[in-house]
Amino acid sequence: MIASKAGKRRRFVRCTGVAAALALAVTACGGGGGSGEQASGGKTTLTVTVWNLAKTPEFTALFDAFQRANPDITIKPVDILADDYPEKVTTMLAGGDRTDVITMKNVTDYSRYSSRGQLVDITDLATSADGAKLAGLPAFNVQGKYYALPYRQDFWLLYYNKKYFEQAGVKMTDHLTWDEYAKLARTLTKEKGGKKVYGAYHHTWRSVVQAIAAAQTGGDQLGGDYSFFRDQYQLALGLQKDGATLDFGTAKAQKSDYKTMFESGATAMLPMGTWYIAGILSAKEKGATDVDWALAPMPQRPGATGATTFGSPTAFAVNRRTEHADAAKKFVRFAAGPAGAEAIGKVGVVPALQSPEITKAYFSLKGMPADEISKKAFQPGKVVLEMPVSEHTSDIDTILNEEHELIMVGDKSIDEGIGSMGDRVKSEVLD
Amino acid sequence: MAQVITQPAPETPPRKRRAWRGVLVGWSFILPNFLGFALFTLVPMLAAFALAFVDWDSYRTPEWVGLDNFQRLLRDETFFVALRNTLYYAAGHIPLTLAAALGLALALNRRLRGVGFFRTAAFFPYITSLVAVAVVWNMLFNPTAGPVNQILQALGVDDPPRWAASTDWAMPAVIITSVWRDMGYYMVLFLAGLQAIPKEYHEAARVDGANAWHRFRRITLPCLRPTTFFVVVMLTIQSFKVLDLIVVMTDGGPGRSTLVLAQLVYREGITEGRFGYSSAIALVLFVIVLTVTVVQFRLNERRSDR
Amino acid sequence: MTALPDAPAVVAPPSPPGRPAGPRSRRPRPLRTALAYASLLAVALLVLVPFGWMVSSSLKRDNQVLTVPIEWIPREFRWSNFVEIWDRIPMLTYLGNSAFLSAAITVLQVLTGSFAAYGFAKVRFPGRDALFLAYIATIAVPWQAYMVPQYIMMQRAELTDTYWSIILLQAFGAFGVFLMRQYYLSIPDDLCEAARIDGLSEYGIYRRIMLPLSKPALASLAMLTFVNTWNDYMGPFIYLTSNDLWTVQLGLRSFVGQYDAEYAMIMTGAVLSVLPILVVFLFGQRYFIRGIATSGLKG
Repeated sequence: MIASKAGKRRRFVRCTGVAAALALAVTACGGGGGSGEQASGGKTTLTVTVWNLAKTPEFTALFDAFQRANPDITIKPVDILADDYPEKVTTMLAGGDRTDVITMKNVTDYSRYSSRGQLVDITDLATSADGAKLAGLPAFNVQGKYYALPYRQDFWLLYYNKKYFEQAGVKMTDHLTWDEYAKLARTLTKEKGGKKVYGAYHHTWRSVVQAIAAAQTGGDQLGGDYSFFRDQYQLALGLQKDGATLDFGTAKAQKSDYKTMFESGATAMLPMGTWYIAGILSAKEKGATDVDWALAPMPQRPGATGATTFGSPTAFAVNRRTEHADAAKKFVRFAAGPAGAEAIGKVGVVPALQSPEITKAYFSLKGMPADEISKKAFQPGKVVLEMPVSEHTSDIDTILNEEHELIMVGDKSIDEGIGSMGDRVKSEVLD
Repeated sequence: MAQVITQPAPETPPRKRRAWRGVLVGWSFILPNFLGFALFTLVPMLAAFALAFVDWDSYRTPEWVGLDNFQRLLRDETFFVALRNTLYYAAGHIPLTLAAALGLALALNRRLRGVGFFRTAAFFPYITSLVAVAVVWNMLFNPTAGPVNQILQALGVDDPPRWAASTDWAMPAVIITSVWRDMGYYMVLFLAGLQAIPKEYHEAARVDGANAWHRFRRITLPCLRPTTFFVVVMLTIQSFKVLDLIVVMTDGGPGRSTLVLAQLVYREGITEGRFGYSSAIALVLFVIVLTVTVVQFRLNERRSDR
Repeated sequence: MTALPDAPAVVAPPSPPGRPAGPRSRRPRPLRTALAYASLLAVALLVLVPFGWMVSSSLKRDNQVLTVPIEWIPREFRWSNFVEIWDRIPMLTYLGNSAFLSAAITVLQVLTGSFAAYGFAKVRFPGRDALFLAYIATIAVPWQAYMVPQYIMMQRAELTDTYWSIILLQAFGAFGVFLMRQYYLSIPDDLCEAARIDGLSEYGIYRRIMLPLSKPALASLAMLTFVNTWNDYMGPFIYLTSNDLWTVQLGLRSFVGQYDAEYAMIMTGAVLSVLPILVVFLFGQRYFIRGIATSGLKG
């Protein structure tokens, strides 16, 4: 009796073990590694982190152009959701991931990765003849060294719906002040057939208020005194109170999309970055929208001469732990060079490499507005870096963002909010 | 009913050999799970605790800083904001979920035709992905066009809350969503517990003329004690660790109004790369949860000794 | 096929035949039954409203989702949403990946968890309770705290971006051990003692007495593990980078993130992500909830 039980027991234990082993074996087959080490037939596979691949056409354009120029290298994009991009890449790098090329979505993340020594020093590429022509390159200077090369340079301008302007009998000018902008926004707001059209749409990012204020007043977002935000907040809250912009809380809670707001005609004006040009062009080509659009320079403070706006470059960097350093550097140089600029220019993205020919080619794109104001918008007098880079950047960014939300949902008055920004930045970060 | 730390009647001789056999047999049971557990949970966890005493950004060599991280914590206002929010969440989530789960289980613990359908319905929210839950509830709670506020307005509430768009109502919105989501899960546990109560008890009480409330107080609740205990412990732990739902629903906002400790741990560690400080916060969170849990264990033991 | 409520009868065989065989004969009370149904229906409705809304939205056009007043029933049913979504995202791959991961983890968790739980509940040896305390304590630690050491370990072992990482991390959780141990504790020790006297080894007791008796708990654990793995977002988010390894949750989140205004399509994706697990649940319901529920009937 006992013997037979023991036999059964053994069989049971064995079965359990087999089942477990089987499960794991199946797993092993199922889970192919994707670390980019596969080199089949002398071809190198280069992995590159990207975001929202399906909605960001310049990545595909760039990869195709590069592969045509370098048939021995295949590019495998690692698609990451844009919202999660910084966290995901930070985790990957912290764990020692071997993805070859890392796209620097913004300068803040770049400063973090470069200071931790996670990127390859490519100063030689940056100081070469082509490198010197790159707009936005100075933002990547870390004590005389460069760890990334910008391939595109975005800055902010004003998108507007020409149809609504005609209907309201108003005209866009090439030098709008913020007061005129507010007046236009109120005029253009209307309700038609149950459908609300806002005069303007301010996306929920803090930069919409804060970065433009800093750029145009010369205020320092890392300084700890934020009174220079005040005028811009008054404008934004005033428009919101009059129903001329979509209310912040609603926009945030329903994660509203600026593209949809503009393309579906829910707003007449939209301050936004140049990256959106590519988005509209492709939406129009696909027939997803029939919006009749044009560009204007960002509105300015009263009495300002010239057009000041803010912007930020996007760059490629080589992971320190890559196993294909040469191929990766080749790619980074290609993307920042003339061939890369041509490839992304074709899909409506503003390349970092700037020359009169590239700008001209850019405006001859199908679907680009050809009027003089649009062209003028494209040549701002001064582009200030969206957020200055220092070791405190990301902490201050968090605080400014939290207080921005509180001001915009009406939980704090402008002065309270600005006051606590200063207090918190001083007490939590600066000392 | 069962105690949590059992002390069964001692065995008779031969003691020593039996004891050794006990160790071998006991470990043979535990080992398969323990190997995986030790390697993939315990070791990283101990490493993380050690990190609380160093300054480390995952790349440079860790630098021993003693209690610096904890001193910094005491001066960090954001830590206290997150602590308060976590307690707020727990204070709402634990009792409400417990009551809802027990109520559902009692209502569904009967032999009615089609009761399976209702059980499935009640459990349904739990099996829905968090991503979908967040999307649906954010739309439901939409301050202007959302069904919740439309219903409130129809009921005569002129100025309905702005939910996730306001600092006062964001946390209640999160709590409501989480209770809705979790109650089915704990209902299943309660149902299992209710099924384990011998029917004779209720029959006997009924014969004695006890009414429904008395039977609930005198039979159901005491017999459910092990289950209730398990549920409360799990709920507590879950409440203090809440992260996913908040990340997908409000991401800590507006401002810091729904920022919880687990999110702060994530933010300081993964986003800011301050793994030492992040581990210190995690350690404090762990100590809080452990203290609460140990108190619960002690209370439970005392009551079961009675 | 005995279930838990019968256990006491086994322990004390000479107990009086208190229970009549077959379903108990209680006078049916129509009013009570009707009331019970009414209240159940009300609760079910309340719980299901968000789903109703989800399903209804998945059949609308994008601009008909958020309307004032709410349209609970779409004016026209756009079934085409459910056709289009397969072209928009590789839903089938995601579903397959999720199913595989959930199944593998569930099998491992139930097997090792219940096995270990027996050791903790019914075998006495020095250090047992301390070890168990360590198990419970780990449940209380937020995962984000040791996420990075874990990740670095996996990276060193070259297991990141493979299913292995997720399986190894989630299959040996302390939760299953805790749940099963609590359940085993409610099974009287006398039962094991009697079996020991009968000459059954500990493994035999686990296999022949505990496992059959704990079917409801095993079913609960299996279901909960499956659902948790299916719905897990953070784990796959951190470990699975290659897009062809993505789970449903990653796919859905990515879709929501990229097409945030396509409300109807988002809801379609949400419905599809819930559907498989609903099917699993409906089929398994017999074993999960009803298994627990009807056990009292088999007197």
